[in-house]
Amino acid sequence: MAGVRLEGIYKRYPGSEKASVTDVNLDIKDKEFLVLVGPSGCGKSTTLRMIAGLEEISEGKLYIGDRLVNDVAPKDRDIAMVFQSYALYPHMNVYQNMAFGLKLRKFKKADIDKRVREAAKILDIEHLLDRKPKALSGGQRQRVALGRAIVREPQVFLMDEPLSNLDAKLRGQMRAEISKLTKRLETTTIYVTHDQIEAMTMGDRIVVMKDGFIQQTASPEELYNHPINMFVAGFIGAPSMNFINGQLTEQGGEVRFKASGVDIVVPEGKAATLRSKGYIGKEVILGVRPEDIHEEPVFLEASPNTIVNATVEVAENLGHEMYLYLNGIGTDTVIARVDGRSGLRDGASVKLALDMNKTHMFDKESELNIFEN
Amino acid sequence: MHMGKTDWIKQLQHILDCPIEAATMSAHEWSEIARQDHGAASQSGSPHPPILPGQHAVSDGRLRFVADVSPKGITVFEIDRRALSDKELELIGWTLRLIGSKGDPKAETPISDSEMYARKLGDWIQKQLESDEPAYSLPDHLIAGTRMYHEMIPFLLVTEQNSPKGGAYGELEKLLRSFLSEDILLIPLKSQEWLIWGPASLLRDEEADTYESAEEETVEDSLASIVSALHEMLASEWLGECHLAVAHPAMPAQGIVETTILLRETINLGRKFHVGTNIHLPWMLQLERLLNAIPEAQRAKYLEQSLKRTDLFVESEMLATLETFFALDCNVSETAKKLYIHRNTLLYRLDKLKQETGLDVRQFRDAVLVKIILLLYKVTKRN
Repeated sequence: MAGVRLEGIYKRYPGSEKASVTDVNLDIKDKEFLVLVGPSGCGKSTTLRMIAGLEEISEGKLYIGDRLVNDVAPKDRDIAMVFQSYALYPHMNVYQNMAFGLKLRKFKKADIDKRVREAAKILDIEHLLDRKPKALSGGQRQRVALGRAIVREPQVFLMDEPLSNLDAKLRGQMRAEISKLTKRLETTTIYVTHDQIEAMTMGDRIVVMKDGFIQQTASPEELYNHPINMFVAGFIGAPSMNFINGQLTEQGGEVRFKASGVDIVVPEGKAATLRSKGYIGKEVILGVRPEDIHEEPVFLEASPNTIVNATVEVAENLGHEMYLYLNGIGTDTVIARVDGRSGLRDGASVKLALDMNKTHMFDKESELNIFEN
Repeated sequence: MHMGKTDWIKQLQHILDCPIEAATMSAHEWSEIARQDHGAASQSGSPHPPILPGQHAVSDGRLRFVADVSPKGITVFEIDRRALSDKELELIGWTLRLIGSKGDPKAETPISDSEMYARKLGDWIQKQLESDEPAYSLPDHLIAGTRMYHEMIPFLLVTEQNSPKGGAYGELEKLLRSFLSEDILLIPLKSQEWLIWGPASLLRDEEADTYESAEEETVEDSLASIVSALHEMLASEWLGECHLAVAHPAMPAQGIVETTILLRETINLGRKFHVGTNIHLPWMLQLERLLNAIPEAQRAKYLEQSLKRTDLFVESEMLATLETFFALDCNVSETAKKLYIHRNTLLYRLDKLKQETGLDVRQFRDAVLVKIILLLYKVTKRN
């Protein structure tokens, strides 16, 4: 088992003005489950492919364990890949699919048999060993692709959106199974997805990427509660964080955030930071998560200085909770997540209080989180 | 061998005090002599064991040593067996092996009969491709066995990374034999380019009929899944990333040149129009083939006339949106799901495109135009 270290990794394609991956530095611990997440084109798959050896590294060093592997062929890196486009070998049955890599490496028949059957048991596909891929369902094929990787007992698993071809229900199921499996096998795993729910539920740590750059690397909790910039704040969390453009003023010793339909007090702790960084009188962007906008009377009573009035444009009742699409707070629609029993309907006028201790503020130019930088 | 042949012979003659003759023979001839001397059981499981300097065999009282192996043939030294003791025989073999292993780094590694034949075939195909009047049927002397008259599945493999020095053919051939499990034909064309013929039996899958399988596969579906599997195997078990094309089964004896032309064109089109894809299917590139035939000046003129704004297509988000939209048959819900965006977000993007270009991809006519424009834009930008 081994960690993976990326030092100053770049990827440049010929004829392209800018790098696809810029200065990626990562130290992935042994047994860690690390997720690379970001929108299409952010460089996450390219980074994974460089680790796999499927793309040449333009600049920088890649270590698997203590070994520098920049020029080592994929088959010699002691990794196993499960990619989105995993292609099972259609002319071989499940057993043969899983055994093939071991056969090439001249493992003894008895050892191959042992590994294949053990992996099949873990994945609950023992009854499918004689079948060909054409006779398997999507979920079963996914398990065989995992099985092919497991039998190799590699130092590192590399997975690139392995669940994206499955329906939502199966995806949820397989997500949990992959997490359990990698923990059981105690193998370092690097997992690429652009589903932030997958990232948040599976990763020990998450790397958020955008335009080839790493935005932030942190635990799911850290990313959610302490996003370093607007991109990370907006990308992580569903529904997304709300952003309200406004201005900070100071009146009678109180720092207030003012925007269209908003005039609320900033708690003293945050106010002190804003003062020290010279943001009083400047335009900033307030970030507030839907679950931090409250309509319960008890919260309204406890937080009279953070109340806003709004109109419910659309109320989506999911049963246990309700999403309110609100007008009147800033210039854009704001989403609040409230209790499903709130009884609110489309067109209703509502009073809400913002939990200012949980809000974030971002610099208008740099989009950096004022409180995290 | 880096030492002159004549020098070697003279020196050895002097040491052993007996006449030595040098000769050249084909790998097949050597294999026959070795087989007769050592017997079939002593050969490795492979039908074409590697020929290495230092190997020896006796035939008709003459002892022959392999001194050198090259594509041109096997250089052997012939000595009267009675002139050597067992120890001298061993010593000469050892010395030749040593020299062979420390020899000219540019020297070819030992090649098998099948490789020599494949190279001849590859050279012939290359000649036809460069000729103004190519021959399309294989000449008799290049037809080995009856399999050339049976339908086989042709693949073209183009590797991105340099093959390891020496032995690349043997290694790849062995890998393909393990994977396809049958007789394959591997023909090296240009450097990093290989023509592979695989058994047509890959398309026949009686066992799947035993179980309830997915809807019936077309030949193209089967070929696509075979080539995808081959790509995956080569990427993870050989050198890494590569490009692969596959065509419908054909008879090598009659269609080898035509098939190679088709496969080369397929990979070229695929690389030009679909950067980032590695598997190229000729039946999926018909529009690309047509557009590629349009002169560049005309392409640029059409683009200029069609679009109010071309820089919208530079935005990776819009490009990804449109490509996904078209790949999912213009289905808005599925596209939104695939892109992990809200349906309204997708509609906003499509509305933005309509506003900027006047083209609404939700209308069939406009979708066709945008598809063509996208392809033309990509290839024009690349040029």
